[in-house]
Amino acid sequence: MIINMLKTSHQLVHISHQEKQKAMVSEMVGKITNVCWDKCITSTPGSKFSSSESTCLTNCAQRYVDMSVLIMKRFQSMQ
Amino acid sequence: MDPFSSPAPSSGSSGPSTEALMDQVKAQLAQAYAEEFLETVRSKCFAKCITKPGTSLSGSESSCISRCVERYIEATSIIGRALFSSPR
Repeated sequence: MIINMLKTSHQLVHISHQEKQKAMVSEMVGKITNVCWDKCITSTPGSKFSSSESTCLTNCAQRYVDMSVLIMKRFQSMQ
Repeated sequence: MDPFSSPAPSSGSSGPSTEALMDQVKAQLAQAYAEEFLETVRSKCFAKCITKPGTSLSGSESSCISRCVERYIEATSIIGRALFSSPR
């Protein structure tokens, strides 16, 4: 993760909490887009998304977040 | 001084040197994300559009790549909206 690179180079002391949040958001959107593109865009890219492709992308992003929450809960209950 | 090292932060919380460092880090972050984004787009679009590499890019491969870049950018905003503007 890019934000981890900055941590190890001690650069994070220089940016505000707000900037860190923005960086984490960018990171997450990038990661989820990467994963959901592979799940949802199965054919050659067209000049626009079909409604099933855009619905899939939206669902995918929300289910990925749901999954992350569930994983954290399971993980914490095993500590 | 290499781009990733920095002097110790100044003891004051404000002042031109701290602000300049903040701007520098923000610029580095923006650049790092831009490079990562481009690398992801290259990887996705090569996979989707260049199925049998020939001796040059064909017209259909070039059009596919253009559409792919547009779609990936659009996918990024769909994901952004799915996560941050739809109340659930």
